[in-house]
Amino acid sequence: MSSKYLNKADEIDRRRFLLNAAKSYLGVATAPMIGASLASPAMAQAAAAATGGGKAEHVIFLNMDGGMSQIDTFDVKPGSEYQGPVEAINTTGDFQISQFLPNTAKMGDKLCLINSMTSTQGVHDQAQYQLHSSYAPLATITHPSIGSWALRMKGRMNQELPGYVAVGGRPKNGSSGFMGIEYGAVRLGNANEGLKNSEMANGITEEDFEKRLAVADALNQRFHQRYKVPQVKAYESLYDEAVKLMKSEDLKAFDLHHESSETRALYGKGSFAQGCLLSRRLVEAGVRYIEVTLGGWDSHYDNFGSVERRCQDLDQAYAALLKDLEAKGLLEKTLVVLSTEFGRTPWINAKRNDGRDHHPSCFSSVIAGGGVKGGYQYGTSTKDGRRPETNPVTHQDLNATIGYALGIDLNQVIHSPSGRPFRMAGPDKLLGKPMTSAFG
Amino acid sequence: MRKLHTLALILGCSIFPGAVCAAPIKNSASKIEPELLKKSALMIDRHVAGLYRSKDLEVPEVVDDPIFLRRSFLVAAGRIPNLEETRAFLETDQSDKREALVDYLMDSDGYRSHMTNWLFDMFRVQDEFLRLPGYPYVEYIYKSAEGNKPWNQLTSELVSATGSAWENGAVGYYLRDLGMELDNLSNTMRIFTGTRMECAQCHDDPFGEYERRDFYELAAFTSDQGPINHEVWEKAFAPLAKNGTDNTDFGRFLRFLDEWVHVSALASGGAGRIALPNDYQYRDGDPGEMVGGKTPFGKRIRTSDRSDSGDSREAFANWMVGEENERFTATIVNRMWKRVMGQGLWEPVDEYVEAEKTVIPALTKDLTRLMIDLDYDLKAFQHILFATKTFQFAANSEAFASGLPQSLNGRQLERMSAEQVWDSLLTLSEGNPDKLEKRTFDDGVYLFQNKVLEEEYPTMEEFSKMILSIKDPEEYYKTASELFGLITGKNGTAEVPASGKLRGGDTSLVYGEGLLSPVLDGPARASELQAPTPENHFLRTFGQSDRVLLESASSEANLSQVLAVMNGEVENMIVSNDSAAIYQAIDGDIEARDKVRYIYYAILGRPPLDEEMKFLMRDVIDGSKQAYRNLVSSLLSTHEFLFIQ
Repeated sequence: MSSKYLNKADEIDRRRFLLNAAKSYLGVATAPMIGASLASPAMAQAAAAATGGGKAEHVIFLNMDGGMSQIDTFDVKPGSEYQGPVEAINTTGDFQISQFLPNTAKMGDKLCLINSMTSTQGVHDQAQYQLHSSYAPLATITHPSIGSWALRMKGRMNQELPGYVAVGGRPKNGSSGFMGIEYGAVRLGNANEGLKNSEMANGITEEDFEKRLAVADALNQRFHQRYKVPQVKAYESLYDEAVKLMKSEDLKAFDLHHESSETRALYGKGSFAQGCLLSRRLVEAGVRYIEVTLGGWDSHYDNFGSVERRCQDLDQAYAALLKDLEAKGLLEKTLVVLSTEFGRTPWINAKRNDGRDHHPSCFSSVIAGGGVKGGYQYGTSTKDGRRPETNPVTHQDLNATIGYALGIDLNQVIHSPSGRPFRMAGPDKLLGKPMTSAFG
Repeated sequence: MRKLHTLALILGCSIFPGAVCAAPIKNSASKIEPELLKKSALMIDRHVAGLYRSKDLEVPEVVDDPIFLRRSFLVAAGRIPNLEETRAFLETDQSDKREALVDYLMDSDGYRSHMTNWLFDMFRVQDEFLRLPGYPYVEYIYKSAEGNKPWNQLTSELVSATGSAWENGAVGYYLRDLGMELDNLSNTMRIFTGTRMECAQCHDDPFGEYERRDFYELAAFTSDQGPINHEVWEKAFAPLAKNGTDNTDFGRFLRFLDEWVHVSALASGGAGRIALPNDYQYRDGDPGEMVGGKTPFGKRIRTSDRSDSGDSREAFANWMVGEENERFTATIVNRMWKRVMGQGLWEPVDEYVEAEKTVIPALTKDLTRLMIDLDYDLKAFQHILFATKTFQFAANSEAFASGLPQSLNGRQLERMSAEQVWDSLLTLSEGNPDKLEKRTFDDGVYLFQNKVLEEEYPTMEEFSKMILSIKDPEEYYKTASELFGLITGKNGTAEVPASGKLRGGDTSLVYGEGLLSPVLDGPARASELQAPTPENHFLRTFGQSDRVLLESASSEANLSQVLAVMNGEVENMIVSNDSAAIYQAIDGDIEARDKVRYIYYAILGRPPLDEEMKFLMRDVIDGSKQAYRNLVSSLLSTHEFLFIQ
């Protein structure tokens, strides 16, 4: 649907008319689906004082879900009994990585390796939760994800597009928790389909479309008065959001068909690869935070076979993303984070066809762009890979680093509706510190 | 039976000529005696009323007929009532119609379908695991739901499972988590006993009651989850790996035998002992030291740390469902309470609380007794809960403010689950979704998406039995070559190039999508679709679980959902679909006001309010078809549609 399709002046009249009609019968005072879409939402973007770092405007978070084996990817241990059959290769940076990542190796000069990640969460859902929110899961509250923090603290850049988009992955990872739906991720099941259903269905006129919304608005009022709960409110604001989005010229950012077949091929075919390409398009269009998930890293069984297959999905796409961002001049203002919830044991379990089990005490993440030093290793692990040797980095530290790169004041406290204080870098006891020396 | 009959008669009578009538009542499971039903429901209501009295609070009002109707349908049968069902219920003044409705729903196929979804989520059922066929496991759980298998029997069969998945689908419970035996055990304790032990997998739990050693002593019972005769296969395969022909079609055929036959099986019934892990960090044991099994609560059962038991999973299962394990019964009681009443008697449901510490200890104890007396018949148990006044309570904020838990306080407003949304939309498009096509299970041998060896081995069970019976590697190789020849019509084996008839370029075809999953073409209820549906499916948009982890379903709002309602599936399946049941029902010589009323019945399960009718008749309904479409779209966009009151 193009913008000409919805003429604003007409739209206001029609919807006003229905609203007035509804008022007279239903006693409707305000109709949120209409009301909010008429007013241009206040610019949320307050210029956050840069606290250092602060070069990044966007974040692309690549979530390696399932526990990526660090020894077979970014923390190689050549000559060690733990290395198994996977060989180390040189990179354009000051370190070696796994032979499974030949394209990534060529991007080494852009990468900052963190081979000293450490955590105490060894169960997938708890660890993913903490990676995404800086907090351990609690039964009494849902903590906002880091994407929601970024959006809340930095605001939207493009007021018509969502500020936070998640391609694939667990629904709970994109949750805005107590912050409310406006800070939650818009989820796409499949990057190739873009934002599904964002155009008006065939055969519906603009008039019908508006009428439907206005009538629904009117009929909703009684229900809203009866149930003043956040879940209902969430849907209310989403209708407004959806209409705004449908009218946006920038909607084409979601459509990969605008990319040449060469560019698409550069990234590779898989769903993760196309998600990476989409994330670049969304950065161009002004989306603040994008998460793309690549699952299937849980290699308890046949570790080397399954890590090789996952790396085939990862390597080409990841390298293409960095290259493409750089070529378009976007890398400097986009922090690209690649992380997983925990690592895998250095030792190999022969009983499970050479599997590796969960190993939270030491694993790898990689950051690039957004002012980060390239070709650089921030932290290292011990020779046997069991624990960090220099500069241990927790989930909270990694998240603090994301905040730092974006120029967010990490001391700022946001209160939940029930009055409890929270910070982006986690609870007091585990409060994360940014890796400032990783920035140039 | 009489009541059921009465409502069925009402529902069966033709209100609209040509409209689809209600589902024929299919009864696949035992029915609860009416006397027992009444008595037990009363027992529950008395306990609850007693609590209200003791707090000096009024017992909450019950909801009106429309809310009762919609709530009962969605909670018991996973969908909204269709137009006929709504009319039949709202337009009769039969005094016992609520009881009759519950009887009707408990006997409907909708109950079976909705309970299937619940079990699929609980047991994280997938048509295909990472590299193994999930199909026999799906079939096992599906049929367990269909037959209303008693919970203790189901538990016992799953926990003690052993042998080939093709003979015993319950084995999938372990294969589901191949290589993740410890995570699997954590889930087992969480699901069946409401005990969280996952922290103790790696370290003593500072906040919980368990140490790492306790966890390993429990893990001893389920340990040894290896394949059957894998060494025979390995020896038969070794020459191919050696001469580099393992990536030929024959090589892939052998891999297929490995993963679909040998690995899709558990050879041992459990070793009863396990080695402490490499990173064991406490003084009470050394890395690598063998520990025997020891149960942490209930009856004390032990297994030896010196020799393999061979059937320790059975001992574990017996302990689990045994009467001395109070947590087992209490946990399923609470899970069922949550399912019907919206919230557990204690929360979270997977953290056991002793009866004495629950909000009404006597109620908890009586419910536990009842579950045992009913022989863990979940359908009968839920039937009783549905028959209570407590289920009919209107959400009551005053009582909540006085400290009464939500579980006794009327169902709180909640968004429909993804499955409920989907099945409700089907009700509007198809009339009676219970009559739609069901899943079927084909037991044949499938290779590279082709059905093969139909004459020789009509079922995968027979095929795997034969393969697993071969003990000699040479004979194994020979048999595999012959089978390969039979399938491909080629005599050669290792020489067949990778680009041959059966190829696919990479091994992914072997484990490819849709290999065995019966994907239905036509419209079907969520329980009958691929498990889980693909990531871009409507159900996933609305938060269907990916079934990787426990409790992964979500009912959070999302922009994509709203787009699906305005422009996507809801528009295509219903609003602009002229043959949708909702339009069929109002087609013909019916007054405009009645059409509006029927549309309200079908979508919201209630008549329009007077002021709504006035507004719509003046400003929306102009006699055109499009006006009704617009109304349908508007009502489907209301929050009232999406939420259960």
